[in-house]
Order: sequence, then structure tokens, then C-alpha cells
Amino acid sequence: MSQQDVAERELTMSRAMTDAIAHEMRADEDVFYMGEDVADYGGIFDSTQGLLDEFGRDRIMDVPISETAYVGAAVGAAMEGMRPIAELMFVDFFGVGMDQIYNFMAKNTYMSGGEVSVPMVLTAGVGGTYNDAAQHSQTLYGTFAHLPGMKVVVPSTAYDAKGLMHNAIRDDDPVVYLFHKRLMGIGWMPAPDGPKTPVPDDPYVLPFGEADVKREGSDVTIVTLGLHVHRALTAAEQLATDGISAEVVDLRSLVPLDTETILDSVRKTGNLLVVDEDYRSYGVTSEVIARVAEHDPSLVTSVDRLAVPDVPIPYAREMEDEVIPDATDIVASIESMDL
Amino acid sequence: MSASESVTVDSDTYWPADVDAEEAIVTNWFVQPGTQVQEGDLLGEIQVEKVAIEVTATTTGEVTALLVDEDAAFERGEPLLSIAPRTDE
Amino acid sequence: MVVVTRTQMERMYEDMVTARRYEERLQEEYLEGKQPSFDISAGPIPGELHLAAGHEASGVGVCHHLTDDDTVTAPHRPHHIAIAKGVDLKRMTAEIFGRKTGLAKAKGGHMHLYDSDAGFACSGIIAEGCPPAVGAGLAAKKRNSDAVAVAFLGEGAIDQGAFFESLNFASVHELPVVFVIEDNDWAISMPKERVTDVSDGSQRAGGFEMPGQRVDTDDAVAIYEAAGKAIARARDGNGPTLLEVQVHRRMGHFMGDPQTYRPEDDVADAQARDSIERLKSDLRDHGATSDELTTIETSAADRVDEAIAWAKDQPAPSPDDAYTDVFTSPPRGVADQAEAPSQGGDD
Repeated sequence: MSQQDVAERELTMSRAMTDAIAHEMRADEDVFYMGEDVADYGGIFDSTQGLLDEFGRDRIMDVPISETAYVGAAVGAAMEGMRPIAELMFVDFFGVGMDQIYNFMAKNTYMSGGEVSVPMVLTAGVGGTYNDAAQHSQTLYGTFAHLPGMKVVVPSTAYDAKGLMHNAIRDDDPVVYLFHKRLMGIGWMPAPDGPKTPVPDDPYVLPFGEADVKREGSDVTIVTLGLHVHRALTAAEQLATDGISAEVVDLRSLVPLDTETILDSVRKTGNLLVVDEDYRSYGVTSEVIARVAEHDPSLVTSVDRLAVPDVPIPYAREMEDEVIPDATDIVASIESMDL
Repeated sequence: MSASESVTVDSDTYWPADVDAEEAIVTNWFVQPGTQVQEGDLLGEIQVEKVAIEVTATTTGEVTALLVDEDAAFERGEPLLSIAPRTDE
Repeated sequence: MVVVTRTQMERMYEDMVTARRYEERLQEEYLEGKQPSFDISAGPIPGELHLAAGHEASGVGVCHHLTDDDTVTAPHRPHHIAIAKGVDLKRMTAEIFGRKTGLAKAKGGHMHLYDSDAGFACSGIIAEGCPPAVGAGLAAKKRNSDAVAVAFLGEGAIDQGAFFESLNFASVHELPVVFVIEDNDWAISMPKERVTDVSDGSQRAGGFEMPGQRVDTDDAVAIYEAAGKAIARARDGNGPTLLEVQVHRRMGHFMGDPQTYRPEDDVADAQARDSIERLKSDLRDHGATSDELTTIETSAADRVDEAIAWAKDQPAPSPDDAYTDVFTSPPRGVADQAEAPSQGGDD
């Protein structure tokens, strides 16, 4: 499977992210990182590991537990031309500072007729699968993608994470960068195989609005993001042994959304399964299916979606496993499709 | 470029000072047999109790073997990987 | 000790008279076309309009210490502050009238006025302007500049979480920020004593390592002196201050507000204490003649009338303009890089 002629060095997703951040911080004094426990702790989910030693407390800033104040301060600093990266430790904390996020960060450019820009990144740890229950396990992809004015990206691999982070920092607009805790490569939350990939040493930019076909196939298209890219790939392996060829499309970017790649894929396979770790109703799965349908409903014969049902995420393992789709659920969905 | 016999990199090198535990796991490998490394390069991570530790190359050369699998446990003192040192001309 | 010169007083008088005239003229323009019964979306100025007649002393007393490099955030009752800060009056008026050449191409309106040349922005969620002002102070400190940031807020805003968090953040990081509470006693229809637990909002500084001061009189010179101290303190790197200044709301909360909740004598009282009359009287004590004062008043009135006439002459935006300016850079981000290097491995 590997076509490497030289065995390349791999990185965890967290190291790929910090690699990009460190590079940008060396290149531009206006870039700084602010969040809870980002200094000595290096980020609860390793998002700033090693950065304090190189850049110091002034640029890797611990902030008080006050999302409204520090996210808003990031907005204000960005409007003065700095390029802050503000972190929500858990995306679930967005509620505490949501006004500054969706009413200011996302809207200042528009409300000023393009006169001001807000060149900041809002990073956030997302995702469940480790029994952290309803207030610490959400992804909220749909919430951020739904509200206008913010670009939203979701890396699933170390390679993608670095390229998207370079772009996010250099972009003059607010970018919401959602990193899945289970994909980071944290010792106490082991990642599946997959997010750890070879990562070039040099900086590179992945454009937003470009999905990535992570596995080619011909019978069914699985459109997904984040952790579920890897669950879909596992499912695809299983399906292959049953003679079903599944194509896995990793969205990578929700705003802007790469509709073309989705359409190209369903044009080829004629069957669509959308898999999402956010709530089912009014979210990513709805959006992807709607985009296909409004373009040409005749492209697809079978359509289905798997997502977290419209319930708060439960604590006990049996229940959390039930509500968050896994590879087995993906296989079952596809096998019950009329392909 | 001359290569000499592989040297093993011993887990004891990385053990944190004030930790009693004698067992640990490899959480991540970033290299594989064939990867060229410089002294000081990051090769992988191990976890001793709650502490995450970086495994860095003790010599410049080529990785020849990973002696403990990722996610597997090992005891203090066991070798983690081997590197064939390379002296550049 | 802040000494106020006659020239400074004249400048303040000029901006106060301009602001008062502006609000009165906007009131006329706004109400036109809304008859016979008040339809908020009808007429040349649609939507809500929050006029600041009676707040003028606060705008000049604070902003006349500031330069274009200093940043001001203001709430939904901003015109007096914008005028004192030196915002482009014509383009601001065009924005309020919803014209294409307005400050925000008519996308923001009166509650969302941005003039980054003048270092001014306002917005409509209570206390929302505090954190970004803190951020501007943070940027100033990181850049070692002596710029300061000022966040204006109403007395109703001091109960909002964003206010407390901003005080803490500014304090713990010793940022060059001044918070100015404009206390006009009324949060729409709620009188201060019904909703806030202190009668002197500046006391809330006591919960933080920050000085607080209240200026009880609606007096431009007194405000100027207090603000001067606070701003100098910030500029000198000595951290934030919380100021509260008493002002009076001469009109309703928003245009169309019948103010039935407000006791008649309260309205009369506000009308009687006019900070403009007070400054005028101070100027006379400093030797200003009636002619000199009239010249200032006439010039201010002309400036306002000219701005409004200019604005009404500006083109309307086209419906399609609604789709632009969501982002400043291409949706795909920095797309000018060479193609990303291939990953190697299993594609």
C-alpha cells in the first residue's frame, strides 16, 4: 500500500498543528495564542505542547475562565491587525462567549461593509467517545457552519491539520478550527490508526472548500468528517470483504463546503451515506443531502444518514456507544441499502 | 557514508526521575525502519503513569527496528528501538 | 491635575452642540414617513434609532483626550461619541440613511457604525463592546504603543457578564483601558434602582485591582478632568480605570418610545439640566461673547444640515449588495500558495 521510497517521519495531529502554529509565530510577531491552560499545561488536549518554551507567556497566554472576555479580546485585537488564535478548551463552552463569536467575530466584516476584518482563528476541542457526557462531548459542527461569517474547518489527519492551520492563521477572516480530541494522539485518549501521518517539514497551505477523497470506491459514497473519516475507512475495509466498494469523502471544510467533490462522487456511485458526529436534525447530514437533492436528485438511488440522534450525549458507555455511530453502524447502514 | 552495526536505544534513558513505576507504554512512533534521523530528532512518545515523554534520537543514523509495538507495554530498561549510526563524510 | 483651557472648552462646546443638533435633526427625519401610525420600517431611516440628546458631555469629556490611534467602542446610543471621536460625519449619516456610500455600504446602519480611521466602532448587544476594547488595549500593550482603548457602556450594562469579565481581564493583564459608564438612570423602562444593586456603578471597580470614580454632575468640564486622569493613567502603563458619569436621557430609549413608564417630572428634570447650557454659561464666565458662541452654534448647525443633505442625496444600495462582504479574503483562504506537497503513503 505504501508508495514511499523514503520512510517519512510521521506526526500526531497535535504535533502537526503546533508545528504550523510555531512556524507562523516565528514568521509574524502579531500571531499569538490565548486560552485556558495553554501555557504550562500545553493545552488540555495538547494543542500548544512545547510552544511556551519557545515563545513565552506573553505569546502563549493563559486566560481567566471568561470566554466572553477573552474571545472578545481576541476579536478586538484582531480588529487592530493582530492575528490571535483563541481557544475554547471544549467547543461545548461556546455558549459562554457565543455573542462575541457569532455576533461580533463573524459579523464585524459584513456589518462594516468590508471595512474591518477579523483575522483570527478560534480553535476548539470537539468530540465524544470517552464518556465525558452531555456538556463535554459535542462537536457542534452544524451550529458553527450554520451561522454566516465564519469559515469552519475540521481536520481528520496530521497532514490535513497542518495545512489547514497554516491557512487559518494566514487568512484574514475568522476561521473556526475544530480539532477532535480523540484524533490528537494524546496518551490518555489513544487515537485510532489513521490520524498519524507523514507530515512535510516545510509549511504548506490546504485551501478551504476542498474535500479529500480518502478512499476511492464505486458502489457507495460515504461523506463524513473528523473522527468518522477513520470509522468510515474501517467500515470500507470490512465492506470490501463483502464485495462492496465504498468511497470515503473527507469534507475537511464545512464553510466553504466542497459541493463539487460530493457531486462527482455520487455521480459515480449513485448511493450516498452521510456520517456525522453532530446531532442529526438540522445539521451536516441534512446539508449534504440537500445540496445533492437541489442539484439533481436523480443522481442518487439510495440515501441514508448516520448521526448522533437528537438527544444529549449520555454518560454510560453502553449508551454513548449507542448514540455515536461506529464502523459497525456504518457497515450495517450500507448493507441495508439497496445498492 | 559508512554504516556500523545498529545500537539499541534503551528506555531507561528517558525514564523520569521521581517516578516509581517500572512499566510504561509506547503511545506513538513517528518513525519506521528506514527513516533517516538526526541526533535529537523526535522518534516517538512513551507514557509512564500519567507522564508523557518524548523519545529523541541519541545518535544520527537510520532506524533499523522498532523493538516495542505502538500501544504495547514494556519494562524499565528494555530497549525501544535500534538505530544504525551514520557518520557523514 | 488636568487643566481645561478655553480653547478646549470651545472645542467641547462645538462638538456638543453638533451632537445635540444632529440628534434633533435625525429625530425629525426619522419620524417623517412613519405617520400616520408608527411603522418602524417606514420612512428614510428605517429600524430602531437610539438618540443621545443629553449625553453630549460624556462624549466630549472623554473623547477629546483621544487621538485617531486610540480605540473607542460604543453601545447602541453612539452618535455623540462618534462625533467627539472624529468619525466621518457625512458617511456616518449616509449609513444611517441606508445609502451605498455610508460607512458600511448600508450593511450596518445606525447601531453598527465602524470608522477604523477614527478608531471607532459601535454595536447593539449590551456590554458587548467591552471585550473588544480590552482586546485593543491588549494589542497596544503587546506592541508597546501608548494607545489606549475606551469602552463606553450604559448603566444597565454593568450587570452583564461581559462587563465583569472585561474588568477582570483588563485588570489582571494591566491593560490600557478606560471603562466609561454613561448613567442616565434608565435601562429602557427599568430605572436603575430596580435592577442594579449599587447606586454608584464605579464601586464595582472595588472587586478588581482598579480605581473607580463617579462624576455626579452632568458637566463636560468635570468629566473632562476625570477622564483625563484615567486616560493618562492608562497611557502611562498603570492599567485600567472604571469611570461613571451622570448624563440625562432627554428623549425616549428609542424613537417611538412613548415613555409612559417615566414619571413626568423625571422628563422635565432631564430637560432642565442641560449640560450644553451649563458649558455655555462656563464659557461666558471665561470671557466668550455671544457672537463667538453664536458663530460656533451656526457652524455646528450648518455642518449637521450639510451632512444630512449630502446623505439624502446618496445612492441606495442594490439588493445584490447583500451578498458581498461576508468575508474579506477568498472563501478558500490563502489560495496563492503552490500546490501542497503530496503526502506520500497510502492515497
